[in-house]
Amino acid sequence: MKYLLIDTTTSHVVISIVEHNEILVKYEDDIMSDMSSKILPIIKDCFDKVNFTIKDLDKIFVVNGPGSFTGIRIGVAIAKTLAWSLKKDIIPISKLELMATTNTDKNYLVPMIDARRDNVFAGIYDNNLNSIKSDSLININELLDELDDNYELLSFDLLDIKNLKKPKLDILKIILKHQNDKPLNPHALKPNYLKLTQAEENIKKENND
Amino acid sequence: MSNLKDIYILGIESSCDETSVSIVKNGVDEIATAVLSQMDTHANFGGVVPEIASRMHIENFTIVIEECLNKANMTMDDITAIAVTYGPGLIGCLLVGVNVATTLSYIYNKPLVPVHHIIGHIYANNLVSKMEFPLIALVVSGGHTDLIYMEDNYKFKKIGGTLDDAVGECYDKVARVIDLPYPGGPLVDKLSSSGKDTYPLPLPLDDDTYNFSFSGIKSAVMNLVHNENQRGNEIRNADIACSFQNRIIEILTKKTMKALKEYNVKNLIIAGGVSANSGIRNKFKELCDKEGIKLTIPNIKYCTDNAAMVAAAGYFAYNKKIRAGLDLKADANANMF
Repeated sequence: MKYLLIDTTTSHVVISIVEHNEILVKYEDDIMSDMSSKILPIIKDCFDKVNFTIKDLDKIFVVNGPGSFTGIRIGVAIAKTLAWSLKKDIIPISKLELMATTNTDKNYLVPMIDARRDNVFAGIYDNNLNSIKSDSLININELLDELDDNYELLSFDLLDIKNLKKPKLDILKIILKHQNDKPLNPHALKPNYLKLTQAEENIKKENND
Repeated sequence: MSNLKDIYILGIESSCDETSVSIVKNGVDEIATAVLSQMDTHANFGGVVPEIASRMHIENFTIVIEECLNKANMTMDDITAIAVTYGPGLIGCLLVGVNVATTLSYIYNKPLVPVHHIIGHIYANNLVSKMEFPLIALVVSGGHTDLIYMEDNYKFKKIGGTLDDAVGECYDKVARVIDLPYPGGPLVDKLSSSGKDTYPLPLPLDDDTYNFSFSGIKSAVMNLVHNENQRGNEIRNADIACSFQNRIIEILTKKTMKALKEYNVKNLIIAGGVSANSGIRNKFKELCDKEGIKLTIPNIKYCTDNAAMVAAAGYFAYNKKIRAGLDLKADANANMF
């Protein structure tokens, strides 16, 4: 089985081609600007390094959030277009779960993405990527209050937290976990922002008052 | 179904609040167009919310492409090249269309043709009647007010433009002042036909240049309403709409007709969303008939944002060998000149 994984949800970008549970090519780097114009050339470079084409893929894994709204849409736009036009299966993946593939001695992992104003996108996972607390947008102090030494705190962002570790992504682990997920119709694939737009928040607030 | 000599351009447009895909043959024959308008959604917020617009584009675009291909009874293999609006527009919205277009270009190994949104509006006219050169193009929309001299296909010389607000923006702001819901521009046009030109509004930037300025007349309307309110006078919204619209029509026609004379041009095209305005259409028709000028205005459905115009412009850009790579950048402020 030939897989492509696309993650452009944060500045820590991953593009990888996997075949028979082996990573053939992996691009993993920080892209701080002009992400939109860089991703497709990177994907092309990746396929130039393997002996098959993008049309030979069996499945596309796309990280569809949470993260930067624009970043999420770049990956989802590319993945949806690929899956729809090549009639390939598409499977959405959480960025937080991908971060939780990091190897650790602790029982639980807490991947976090900076969402500004003391908020983070975060979830809690065990070592087998089972979700203990589902991904959500949460105040960081509220989250940390519940946690003890059994929890490995993970983030690519410079959060002001003690014992924060940088995630080390294990792409095969996430793919093995999800390769038999029921694929989505590409039309139905949506970003997972975990946050309404400001305009929608305002209307919601007005309605609640 | 396709003749080898025929060129089929797939156009993709997502610069604001319409997700649109179209196939145009040889730059003039619209084969099929699919549009998903978000206008009803944004009406709830009193205007286009960029983040919501971007979110709707990403959810819907594969459906819109599929609908367009199905309507045309074609597949991507029948397409010669892919044209996409790269700017100007809302950056989050443009990024969706650009990434879809570059991905399609990569998968199917088709040339990618970047199209400037305003050039698209201009070429919408080719879907009505073949453009004859030289011509003067008046571009009037929510983001633009430009007078452009075209010597030939894809040769643009700006001879004047707005110094502040675009004319469509001014319409929407005036609409708000007289309590019309979003999108108010078309409602001002409608309301003006039942009003009289009774309010003394200034003729904006009535000088010898081809430039426009609409912030003054917008302020004049706001002050007028404010002062009448203060005095406890009844405000006749239809009369305000009529007085305002007459002044706008007068300055647009005055400068455009002068440009036609000075550049000795017999062809005028009007492009952009505001070209749907009935007052503007009618006055230009009357003046052009009198002066023996050939006037082309897109059908109402081509006045607003649509991908048919992008595909139409894309044909001429394709012939001029204008190409983009997989690293095509969306540009919110893309310059046309």
